[in-house]
Amino acid sequence: MKGEFGGHYIGPVVTTEQTPLECHEVTKVFGDNLAAARTLLAGGCDRQKVLDQTGCLVAVRDATFSVERGETFVVMGLSGSGKSTLIRCLSRLIEPTSGTVKIDGTPIGDLDDQELRELRRQRLSMVFQHFGLFPHRRVIDNVAFGLEIQGAAKADRYERALEVLSVVGLGDWADHFPQQLSGGMQQRVGLARALCVEPEILFFDEPFSALDPLIRRDMQEELLSLQARMRRTLVFITHDFHEALKLGDRIAIMKDGEFVQVGTPEQIVSAPADDYVREFAEDAPKTKVITVGSVMQPLDGEAPPGEPVGLDAVLEDVLPRLLANSEALGVVDDQGNVVGAVDRARVADLLGESSRASAARAGRGAERR
Amino acid sequence: MTAEAPATEPSRIAGAVETRLALDRRRRTRSGSELVVGLALVVAAQLALSAVGGFPESWAVPLADWIDEARRWVINNQTTHWSFSLVFNPISDSIDWGLRTVERFLLWLPWYVVAAAGAMVATSALGMRAGLLAAAGVLYFGAIGLWEESLQTVALMTVAVGISVAIGVPVGIASARYDRFQRNVRPLLDAMQTLPAFVYLIPVVLLFGVARVPAIIATVIYALPPVIRLTDLGIRTVSPATVEAAEMFGATPRQTLRKVQFPLALPSVLTGINQTIMMALSIVVIAALIGAGGLGQVVLESLRRLFVGRALEAGLAIVVLAMLMDRVTHGAAGLGTRRRRLRLMPDSLERLGFVRAIEGALGSVDRALCALGAVLARPMRHAPGLAPLARRPRWVLGLLALVVTTVVSAVLGRPEFPSAFTFSFASAMDWLVDWVRDNLYEIGGTRFGTGWFSDSITIYAVTPLRELFSTDLAWPVVVLAVALAGWRLGGVPLAMFCTACVAGLGFLGMWTLSMDTLAQVIVAVVMAIICGIPLGVLAARSDRFERMIKPVLDFLQTIPSFVLLVPVIIMFNVGRIPGIIASVLYALPAATRLTNLGIRQVEGEATEASRAFGATRGQTLRKVQLPLAAPSIIAGINQTVMLVLAMVVIAGLVGGGGLGLETVKGLRRTDSVGSGFVAGLAIVLLAMLLDRLLQAWTRRFTPVEGGP
Repeated sequence: MKGEFGGHYIGPVVTTEQTPLECHEVTKVFGDNLAAARTLLAGGCDRQKVLDQTGCLVAVRDATFSVERGETFVVMGLSGSGKSTLIRCLSRLIEPTSGTVKIDGTPIGDLDDQELRELRRQRLSMVFQHFGLFPHRRVIDNVAFGLEIQGAAKADRYERALEVLSVVGLGDWADHFPQQLSGGMQQRVGLARALCVEPEILFFDEPFSALDPLIRRDMQEELLSLQARMRRTLVFITHDFHEALKLGDRIAIMKDGEFVQVGTPEQIVSAPADDYVREFAEDAPKTKVITVGSVMQPLDGEAPPGEPVGLDAVLEDVLPRLLANSEALGVVDDQGNVVGAVDRARVADLLGESSRASAARAGRGAERR
Repeated sequence: MTAEAPATEPSRIAGAVETRLALDRRRRTRSGSELVVGLALVVAAQLALSAVGGFPESWAVPLADWIDEARRWVINNQTTHWSFSLVFNPISDSIDWGLRTVERFLLWLPWYVVAAAGAMVATSALGMRAGLLAAAGVLYFGAIGLWEESLQTVALMTVAVGISVAIGVPVGIASARYDRFQRNVRPLLDAMQTLPAFVYLIPVVLLFGVARVPAIIATVIYALPPVIRLTDLGIRTVSPATVEAAEMFGATPRQTLRKVQFPLALPSVLTGINQTIMMALSIVVIAALIGAGGLGQVVLESLRRLFVGRALEAGLAIVVLAMLMDRVTHGAAGLGTRRRRLRLMPDSLERLGFVRAIEGALGSVDRALCALGAVLARPMRHAPGLAPLARRPRWVLGLLALVVTTVVSAVLGRPEFPSAFTFSFASAMDWLVDWVRDNLYEIGGTRFGTGWFSDSITIYAVTPLRELFSTDLAWPVVVLAVALAGWRLGGVPLAMFCTACVAGLGFLGMWTLSMDTLAQVIVAVVMAIICGIPLGVLAARSDRFERMIKPVLDFLQTIPSFVLLVPVIIMFNVGRIPGIIASVLYALPAATRLTNLGIRQVEGEATEASRAFGATRGQTLRKVQLPLAAPSIIAGINQTVMLVLAMVVIAGLVGGGGLGLETVKGLRRTDSVGSGFVAGLAIVLLAMLLDRLLQAWTRRFTPVEGGP
């Protein structure tokens, strides 16, 4: 279907070598006195100082990262940390002040309006926090909007829209208006609308934060299973650390417009870069994140008896077996070679450490009071 | 906290209280003393200049003569000069052609087809009951023998509103799109809405002469602002998230506009069109003054000859037209409460068996007709341009029926409105007028009555004020007083603006007339405020009272200003007072509505908190609700003043005198166009002066938006 609707932006042939999304020192400053703000930033002044001296707000500062094909990259930060600005810079919904964003190797800053539109039509898509649905259009016309914009025939775009609607479980709701649907269903429409154009890269701007906790969990599961089937490149914004751990292949923690740490969930939880990240990491469900590989002892001597576990199994998977008997478990790598062992004591140490840390924190809190 | 702190604390607090009280006192005395100094200045100036009196007439600029000269030039060059042969005349000719075509078509239609069409439109917008009322309204036009005049007015309206929408919507879109364009257009729109409708007639007469085309042009200029404003507003208030989503899917700006912004702005656009229609109607009636014809002409002629009954009949026709157009466009904009369409009886009668049977039968008839319509519509589904119609089987059927009836009637010969249906209550009305004159002017031999009432207002309020402004006070004192008010409210720029306006009145040679009009405006405004604000407070406090007065206010706001004069004249005869009373009635809804709205908009929590602290209802009103409602109430006063000004000017027609009369004279007689123009200009100055002063006053009460 892609390319069918014309347009003269023809991206490079998609090869596995091309990184789908690369960002280099993307910076966004809001305000009038940009030149002064730039000088101050180059001189290494912090955000507050720039604000005080120039009245300019540094929303994003030197964000550098790349996302691999099929990867889910999560940007996690509290409100005001600049994550929503960052995701808008990636599609130039907001024009970055400096830095480059490359999509499939093409710097999008160089595209003219028409080329940018073609890029958005063919390869990008976005799911919005408050759904961003069109209240005056029926569900099906919302979903088909992207194709309509590209000039697809009505029959074609309805066919595709119905297909996608049934994927997200809303096949029967095509003729309703968005307001007639619950919040969770509305966001399914938003998701269907984004998927309908078969984008290569999908942006999610806190898509589930407006939903009830239970519905949020359903949507997360659904996104995971969709992603397991489609393997698209996803950039996902959230302020929920648990959501980040659950969905992300890699996570960037953002604070005051800057990346504090970028890494896999396990790296973030087991080796937080600073106190800020540690505060989040302490509350994390470690057993769901930390893998056997990172707690095992290197093998000395004989492999333990019993069926071995994989390097990248998370602790939660092996806990029942470890608790059931006191024997250590063998750990095997991808090739099936036994490379180490994990036992109760190692796991207990790790979990004990985190509970001691949180106890200490609680103690500090009590003292302060 | 240190040990000796508790001992010093009370004395420190007492000290702080003392300072604060002193500060408060000083602030109050300062604003008080400013007032005293200002007054003293004015009084001193008056004492020093007591011999000066009104603005010296010899200083007046002979603007009127220049205008008359320009007018003569226009008449002489109308056929030869390029600006007429290439610009004004083609515009004029094409409007005239459009108007003639619409008018001829409407008058060619048999009367029952027009009535049925009105009923159809009203039914589809509002429901069956409204449809029947619409048919009755249309039939009323014929019944009082004003069929032709009514349809002339409808034709004028159609063309004027059509042009307004054709210009207004694109301009509104452009102004939503480009901030710079909006910044340039907005002050123009503000000015256009400030001026009384009347004023537009004069320059148009100058360029296009006296006839129906200038009437349409003036109407378009006057009625344009709401469409532009509300199209702009509607597009701008579409949520940015929605627009962003469209952009993210690669929509071009044009696609975003067509597929997202405009559809979402449509209710707002329709509201704008509704307002435009109402404004157009109010001026189309006044435009009878420059030969627009139609119903306005009948009202005007009858009033001039004091055939009050006939004037009332025609006036009622205008009101019927206004209500129909207002309700129908309101319903079409989806603003009114949507009723179930096929309800003939009040819902409360639903429990009666036979009512249910009738409604049920109507429902099945409708379903059958719908099915028939759907069959007929089937071939249209694939015809280009007819597809949207094909989805509305009722419309297909209705239109077909109308066309067939029209054709059959045309073949058989067009029927006139049957004379057996006509009636007139003009003579009954004239009898009533006589009765009122004989019985209500002095009720039962006492000296109290409407005559006494209007005499008192004249003797104790209007005349003294007029004398005070125009002759007793030296003109520099008036200028000084207004300048001081401007300075107090808006600083030096406003003071300079006010000075220029007031002095301008003098230099135009309109000092005496302007002061006459000003005196009438002040009396009417004071009366409107004295009645309007307490009514608003009452309405805010009692839902029942609000429900009671709402239809009255609706009615007063729907009636074109000009028509409002007729019943007032019945009560008070012609002269200055009916103009003032009509102004009060005309402006009352604004004061009442905005007071009511302001108080009701005060957050429930604030009122609740006040009650929780044990405040009485009166305390809550005084200390919480009224202060919080102040911006809205001041805005109401502002509107009141502008409405009163517009009405007082129109009242010049019925002996109100002042600037209005002078303008009317200019419109009537070609030889005094110049002085009419100058009087119109004086009205503009007066309007801008009052508007700016009041805007500045409103701004002082508007809470500061946004935090640090």
